[in-house]
Amino acid sequence: MRSTVDMTPAATVETPNVTDPSLYLRGIPHGCFAQLRAIDGLAWHPYEDGGFWAVTHHADVRFVSRNPELFSSAIGHTNLWDLEADALEARRSLIDTDAPDHTRLRRLVAGAFTPKNIRLWEETVRAITIDLLDEFVSQGGGDWVDMVAAPLPIQVILTMLGVPVEDADYLVELSNYLVEGTGDAQSIPPDAFGNTTELRLLPFNSPASHALFEYGEGMRQHRQDDLQDDLVSHLVQAQSEDEQMSRSEYRNMFHLLVFAGNETTRTAISHGAMALAASPGEWQRVLDDRSMINSAAEEILRWATPIMHMRRTVTTDTELAGTSIAKGDKVVMWYASANRDETVFEDPFRFDVSRANSDHFAFGGGGPHLCLGAFLARLELTVLLEEMAKRSLCLEQTSEPVRARSNFVHGVLSVGMQPRTSP
Amino acid sequence: MAGGELMRVVIDQELCIGGGICEMLEPEMFELDNDVVISSVVGDGLLPRERAEEVADRCPGRAIALVQEEI
Repeated sequence: MRSTVDMTPAATVETPNVTDPSLYLRGIPHGCFAQLRAIDGLAWHPYEDGGFWAVTHHADVRFVSRNPELFSSAIGHTNLWDLEADALEARRSLIDTDAPDHTRLRRLVAGAFTPKNIRLWEETVRAITIDLLDEFVSQGGGDWVDMVAAPLPIQVILTMLGVPVEDADYLVELSNYLVEGTGDAQSIPPDAFGNTTELRLLPFNSPASHALFEYGEGMRQHRQDDLQDDLVSHLVQAQSEDEQMSRSEYRNMFHLLVFAGNETTRTAISHGAMALAASPGEWQRVLDDRSMINSAAEEILRWATPIMHMRRTVTTDTELAGTSIAKGDKVVMWYASANRDETVFEDPFRFDVSRANSDHFAFGGGGPHLCLGAFLARLELTVLLEEMAKRSLCLEQTSEPVRARSNFVHGVLSVGMQPRTSP
Repeated sequence: MAGGELMRVVIDQELCIGGGICEMLEPEMFELDNDVVISSVVGDGLLPRERAEEVADRCPGRAIALVQEEI
């Protein structure tokens, strides 16, 4: 627990609150994070059950990410609040494990997400993208999230998993409830989707997790008798034949692949569209020089920061950024802040499609928990930009975004866009 | 750094987490194996010092070491 005597005094006074989910309805509270970054060392941030060290500098986030032996993912939880031991066990996924469990689980799926294997999906991604953009243009625009940002990544991940693409809308609906679960207000009752499990035992405390577990279980039963060349079959084989994962690990892995495989890239595509609409000159630079598509995609990722933080727990008394931290303390890596760190990114609040520095933390700060789907997300974003460029498609934003009430997921629930063919 | 000094990149496969960042940055030099999901050096392993340091620095598993190349 936090020691009370030898705390850095400057850090404990007037720390702005960055955890209130309602703050994020107006976007990331960048002003608060700038204040936190101005503090030398780490800032102590009060929170419901005691507080945490706010890690807001790029270099410190990197250090925490890359030293998992000092900063555990398996103790307590990777979100701000601690879970009881049984809840932690029931909800444990790739995200909340340390080596060797993490290594074992990650190896079961990592081969599907290497740069080379992801490139094999390029034509699938392109076909889906073309359909969605054609429809968006022919309808004269509409809700960008509903028409492009949500369907693109969910259709791709479902194809990889081997899940019927007809179920995409249902799984996006479940994902939306899961996003609500990361905030402080849920719109569905605890028994929604026939749930009878205590909410604290479910990821994001959401009955939608029960529905997603049930769906994953149905897929498992289907594939058990009829193995296919898809990711679910691969997991089913690993679970039942090779006994490399437990039943609980399977359902949490399925849950993670569906949720993380769609919600995060949807967020990047939503913020990307808003950035391109707000900076038509930047999009014109890409149209004039297509070689900027890769750097534009990286800039969109930095700009969007789809997951705004992850938390670790200190395993041994140590020091970080000149601050003494104790075993059991929580440290929270604010990617949302590191991606605007003025000591790393020149003019960090400028959206620059040719930015040379792509060392952003949209996929986390490195280390063993580096986002598994990073190359899939990059493929989806670059193909989308390529197809938009081919059509000389420019976007005009027609309504304010409706943002997720969450300090964890930088979600956009809807935002109006209409197509224009010249900037 | 101007031209001259080359460094040899070496991967510690025990540390490699298969993040694929090296292959993304230098596709001619690194290859991430699809089965074991571990990177290896496929080119001559030589990069200008500044670039070598950047690639090593970006490695999420801190698995890339640099060796001074004798000229």
